[in-house]
Amino acid sequence: MELQLEYYLILAAGLFCIGIYGLVTSRNVVRVLMSVELLLNAVNLNLIGFSSFIDPIDIKGQVFSVFVIIVAAAESAVGLAIILAIYRNRNTVDMERFNLLKW
Amino acid sequence: MLSALIWIPVIGGIIIGFLPNQLAEKSRSLALVIGSIILAFTLAIGLQFDPNQSGLFLSESFSWLDQLGLTYYLGVDGLALPLIFINSFLTLIAIYTSSTKLARPRFYYALLLFLSAGTAGAFLAQNVLLFFLFYEVELIPLYFLIAIWGGTNRGYAATKFLLYTAISGALVLASFLGIVWLTGASSFDYDVLRSQVLPLSSQIILLLILLAGFAIKIPFFPFHTWLPDAHVEASTPISVLLAGVLLKLGTYGLLRFGIGLFPDAWNLLAPYLAIWAAVSALFGALAAIAQKDMKRVVAYSSIAHMAYILLAAAAATPLSLTAAVAQMISHGLISALLFLLVGVVGKKTGTRDVDTLRGLLNPERGLPIIGSLLILGVMASAGIPGMAGFISEFIVFRGSFSVFPIATLLCLVGTGLTAVYFLLMINRVFFGRLPLAFSNLPAVPWSDHVPAIVLAILIVTLGLQPNWLVRWSETQTASLSNFDTETLAEVRPASRSLLQPGQSIKESQWWRSL
Amino acid sequence: MEFASNFSDQLNVGLILPEGIVVATLLAVLIGDLILGRRAARGLPYIAIAGLLLSIVSLYFYWDAENPTALLGSFSGDDLSIIFRGVIALSTAVTILMSIRYVEQTGGALSEFIAIMLTATLGGMFLAGANELVMIFVALETLSISSYLMTGYMKRDSRSNEAALKYLLIGAASSAVFLYGSSLLYGLSGGKTILPEIAQGLAQVEGGELASAIALVFMIAGIAFKISAVPFHQWTPDVYEGSPTPVVAFLSVGSKAAGFALAIRLLVVAFPLEQPQWRLIFTALAILSMILGNAVALAQTSMKRLLAYSSIGQAGFVMIGMVAATQAGYASMIFYLLVYLFMNLGAFTGLILFSLRTGTDQITEYAGLYQKDPLLTLGLSICLLSLGGIPPLAGFFGKIYLFWAGWQAGLYGLVILGLVASVVSIYYYIRVVKMMVVKEPQEMSDTVRNYPAVRWNLPGMRPLQVGLVFSLVVTSLAGILSNPLFTLANTSIENTEALKSASTFLEETTAQNKEVSLADPMAPAIVEK
Repeated sequence: MELQLEYYLILAAGLFCIGIYGLVTSRNVVRVLMSVELLLNAVNLNLIGFSSFIDPIDIKGQVFSVFVIIVAAAESAVGLAIILAIYRNRNTVDMERFNLLKW
Repeated sequence: MLSALIWIPVIGGIIIGFLPNQLAEKSRSLALVIGSIILAFTLAIGLQFDPNQSGLFLSESFSWLDQLGLTYYLGVDGLALPLIFINSFLTLIAIYTSSTKLARPRFYYALLLFLSAGTAGAFLAQNVLLFFLFYEVELIPLYFLIAIWGGTNRGYAATKFLLYTAISGALVLASFLGIVWLTGASSFDYDVLRSQVLPLSSQIILLLILLAGFAIKIPFFPFHTWLPDAHVEASTPISVLLAGVLLKLGTYGLLRFGIGLFPDAWNLLAPYLAIWAAVSALFGALAAIAQKDMKRVVAYSSIAHMAYILLAAAAATPLSLTAAVAQMISHGLISALLFLLVGVVGKKTGTRDVDTLRGLLNPERGLPIIGSLLILGVMASAGIPGMAGFISEFIVFRGSFSVFPIATLLCLVGTGLTAVYFLLMINRVFFGRLPLAFSNLPAVPWSDHVPAIVLAILIVTLGLQPNWLVRWSETQTASLSNFDTETLAEVRPASRSLLQPGQSIKESQWWRSL
Repeated sequence: MEFASNFSDQLNVGLILPEGIVVATLLAVLIGDLILGRRAARGLPYIAIAGLLLSIVSLYFYWDAENPTALLGSFSGDDLSIIFRGVIALSTAVTILMSIRYVEQTGGALSEFIAIMLTATLGGMFLAGANELVMIFVALETLSISSYLMTGYMKRDSRSNEAALKYLLIGAASSAVFLYGSSLLYGLSGGKTILPEIAQGLAQVEGGELASAIALVFMIAGIAFKISAVPFHQWTPDVYEGSPTPVVAFLSVGSKAAGFALAIRLLVVAFPLEQPQWRLIFTALAILSMILGNAVALAQTSMKRLLAYSSIGQAGFVMIGMVAATQAGYASMIFYLLVYLFMNLGAFTGLILFSLRTGTDQITEYAGLYQKDPLLTLGLSICLLSLGGIPPLAGFFGKIYLFWAGWQAGLYGLVILGLVASVVSIYYYIRVVKMMVVKEPQEMSDTVRNYPAVRWNLPGMRPLQVGLVFSLVVTSLAGILSNPLFTLANTSIENTEALKSASTFLEETTAQNKEVSLADPMAPAIVEK
């Protein structure tokens, strides 16, 4: 069986949906952050898929995905730092209890 | 020259606003000086006015925001001149009658001068966008003047005024944007827009929007509810300005922009406008009968009297248009006088309630001079011959009757009712026995009489010399009928129908025979 | 040699000199702080402001640059980007003025704060000129991550933590959505990442409407988050309430301006063929923002939340220019953002001054302020009235330009809604002004009664005063003297090749497609969309 572009895209779309689902339903902040990572990885999959099928010479997609990985790392670093700060103040990482500000 | 009318009060207001603390008490005298300068300027402009010439006799034009089509284009003609005069004159009177012991005098007089500047700007503007700008400029000063120095319920009244007027402004702007866009004109200049011809259907839509906007400002029934509240809560000088000048912005807008920019639609809608005028006049008069607060009575009478202007404008004969301007002037003076005197009564007795006040005409312990002047003002308002009110109302009805007989008759009934509610008020307040509670009224100093007497003299003089009342508007007739008879009748056949054959400019000068 | 010179031509690094100056300033602030320690904190903010002003001056020299593309086409230094970069840098400069005292009084480290703020500015400035997907993404994230950090800067305040967390999670999710859209775009256009090439690539694809529509919607969702357009606004009031006020000021002006710059460039250049679709989406966003932003602002009791919702409403007004999609529309957007910068920052400066002196931002606590602090009252009132669109202040002219541009583009409904919304907005702005100006001495709130004596010579107060007076003067005069400003906005749009070529491209493709569809009725008709 030959791998086609569609498979990558469908896999990425599935991953993206799982990420969105996790984002909406998780109560633990770390899990929310992990769901965001899933979203970004879905994007990476898309990019790499497109890159190797459509743009195999310039491979801009692969370059792009490297950037995405780097930025995602920075983002989770900041995210975890913020979670750490909030954990120190509130002793919880439960989304439902962060209700000082009304939504 | 014309810019001075706007910029002298603005600069004066800024100077007063930033006076150092120890000079705060001087702000009143300074404001008086500035007010006098403005009045002198207005008179100087008036002297250059040639009654036989139509169109702008003075104008200034600078390009300002070209991309927007907004030019700084000021001009004065026979329509604007009397209103500018009234504005300068009543501003001076308002400054003069303001209490000497006001809280925050600097802010007060600065706002008063800004208000005067904004109003003068609106009357002078020859660019519709500039007119809108000035129309909105007077919003905030007046809001503060009511909200800070008003009566007990001033916050509510001021906010209501603000919202109504802001909506009015938005509607007027929508209409102006509409006409410029639909005609494809390159600028918002009034004369450019007037030379454009629009299809009737879009004219009607735009005119309706414009009418709704100005009807809030003037105000006509059923958009009037803000006015009695604002009058009751505002202090006397502000009521004087509000009734005397600011409401005229709306009627001025109707004449200048309603008729001027949408003549065909105006013809078409005129019968409905006449009926609206009659309804508004009757409503104002009937509502005035039911009022217990003297200021409310005057406020509702103001609504009724402003409706005559709509009637005259709807008829749009040369005579009735002259009459509309005359009615603006005489209503400006008369309502100013009435509010002034009602204010004095309220200040001296501590109440304006018709049910509690009695016998104030008592020559020894009452307010005889005030009472006499008020009776004079009421007579003028009710249209007793010999006063300005009679002249203007008479020509309103004379000019409109041939076009809209029924609406005119209904308005005549409204005039009759004026006598009814004002006599009811006078009878209760000034005749009968002076109750003990009011028997030790403080004496009214001469200085309080001066503005009222000046106004009364003006009203009587204009009544005895109607030429002076209408002389301003002779050009007015010329310039307004200029587009009504000549250009319009030629360019737009539709408008010929509303001109009655016998009514020419000749006939509109009937007062010469008086 | 030839290759090298050719390459350096394409690189054209000189074009990003303004950003380079910001980077140098950033490094100077960081190193200065390390070497000199706390003593230097006094002077560092002024170095940062000087650097930003220098950067703005250097932007001036690139006005109408001959070759406006740099970094192999991924950055465009055209006039459109210059004006947006100027707005962003200027907003940071004013924000730094107001944050000096604030950060010191709340016990944070000032120089780090300024360093992060400069980073955010850098991101915003690059975003304003970014012309390629990777560039857009990196710039966007530089701006966003710095914003998260600034939001959570008061790390002992759990409200600030919470605001930062919410902002981070929603922001990360929205940028992931944006990214997903751009990955689709990359694939659809046949492996292109530079915006004009994407447009050409998209035009050649047959039958990709659905996918390109999905990409468009995803990308607009990401942008709408940045400009906090309803319904992507939920984070705004919470974040605004919880974060340090200077940060809020930056988010509501600088960050928003960057978002609008991105919106114009991305949509106009990369999606010229989808113009009807994105205009439709932006119409919906504008309507919702104007209605919801202004309506909810009516009910607010806290000044910060009031300004938060009002900024949502203001974004709705600006989007009218976007929907108009004409030169006049974009120019009026830029003009509005220029005056919005001053009036909104002025309002925030007033808010910061008041909360620094009294520790509260409840609207009712402002009662009777005129007696104790006339300058603050004057400045805050003028800025709020200008936001409400009262003539002759700057905001009035900004709105008139926007409405006029919208009206010319035939958006009657939207403009009338805008007029209604601005009447509503006058109501809630005047409520604050009324509190400050109208209340009698006996109605004065306790906070104001205990108002500390106004002393401008306290450390860090002078910059606040300068900021307030500066915004006050500009807000009062910018409208009356708006001709040069608007000409500037207009020429910047006119001189921008990208917008022009996009519109010609649209015309050409439409004409071509018409021919195609006339010749062959079965051909996929993109035109008919």
